[in-house]
Amino acid sequence: MPLLDLKQVSKSFAYAKGDLSVLENISFTVEEGEFLAVVGPSGCGKSTMLRVINGIMPPTTGQVLYNGRQIDGINLECAIVFQSFALLPWLTVKGNIEMGLEARGISPAECEKRCGIYIDKVGLDGFEEAYPRELSGGMKQRVGLARALAVEPKVLLMDEPFSSVDALTAITLREELLDLWQAPGTSVKTVIMVTHIIEEAVELADRILVMATSPGRVVGDLKVELPRPRDKRAEPFNALSDKVFSLIEERS
Amino acid sequence: MTAGINPIPDCNLMWVFGLLETLEDRGGREDGYKIARDLAFKFSDLLKVMKAAEILGLVSTPSGDVVLEPLGKQFLAVDINQRKLMLREQLRKHGLFNYFVRLLRGQESRSLSKEVVLEHLAILLPAERPERTFATLVNWGRFAELFGYNKDEDRFYLDHE
Repeated sequence: MPLLDLKQVSKSFAYAKGDLSVLENISFTVEEGEFLAVVGPSGCGKSTMLRVINGIMPPTTGQVLYNGRQIDGINLECAIVFQSFALLPWLTVKGNIEMGLEARGISPAECEKRCGIYIDKVGLDGFEEAYPRELSGGMKQRVGLARALAVEPKVLLMDEPFSSVDALTAITLREELLDLWQAPGTSVKTVIMVTHIIEEAVELADRILVMATSPGRVVGDLKVELPRPRDKRAEPFNALSDKVFSLIEERS
Repeated sequence: MTAGINPIPDCNLMWVFGLLETLEDRGGREDGYKIARDLAFKFSDLLKVMKAAEILGLVSTPSGDVVLEPLGKQFLAVDINQRKLMLREQLRKHGLFNYFVRLLRGQESRSLSKEVVLEHLAILLPAERPERTFATLVNWGRFAELFGYNKDEDRFYLDHE
């Protein structure tokens, strides 16, 4: 049984002039342990899809099954990392991470323990009492990542996590994400990352889902069979990037 | 007393790590201008990153190129917490960081207010903007767990002592 199973998921929003279809007839499965990247141009509904998977928004029609069961409300086995970081400016790094745990009803002692573990894992030691405004974008996203990992989810959902940071910071964060994902002690093994950067998808993912716009739909599903660490300047890397690019171009 | 105290570029350490990764991907040596162009990174910013990486002993910069040094390679091979340890060792050897380590050790509270740190910076590095250098001291210091800064208590202090 796949971990996640989307069956003919559609999502539309009602406007005065009529319904706007954002996702149309999306079906795919995700296996446990898979790193899936979802690539597509802006407006293809990929972020909406992530929210449907997480249960923040219900689909208009169709079903999202998790371990074979239909999701009703927010799936607490998922945690999400946002492009905007979504940190509370009046809380310290530690406070921001604890907040995510407290919201899930985790005891203060356990909060404290997990905070320590995940601050250490993502390299935030030394920044516990810093406020978000004292941090660079890259450090803010580490807080976003620690907050998501600290709830010890089965599935990590990432919505354009490295799109708000500069190129050098993004390189660093991608490497660290791979290290974390591959580390034996990490509870989260399944990752779904939405991105518009094709090279990012080819560098990180086991599989790439390509989406096209108006309405958002899946136009390609490619396995990435390149061994890690991946050589970004090698021919197979470029060939696969070109293939994804042409799939997006054809349908847009 | 100020001999050997040089300014530090206002550069985020994650840029330094990104530069090292990029160099590793490119066989350990690359033209700085080419890296900036390929990453669409401002060349003036990349120069700061190169300078910072050089101060930390991770790269050398002969004639516009950036070369990964053995310490830089070692740095790439270890995990994030070992990287912090390596940075701490490197920063302790740097004049400016060393100055504040000694200054803080001499305080009974092992800490200083930001205002006092800014005064020292104004004397040590008159050509630099103290606020900016303070921000970099705190950022690098926190990352390496050498210094901490608590904004609420306005306390700049030695971590790990």
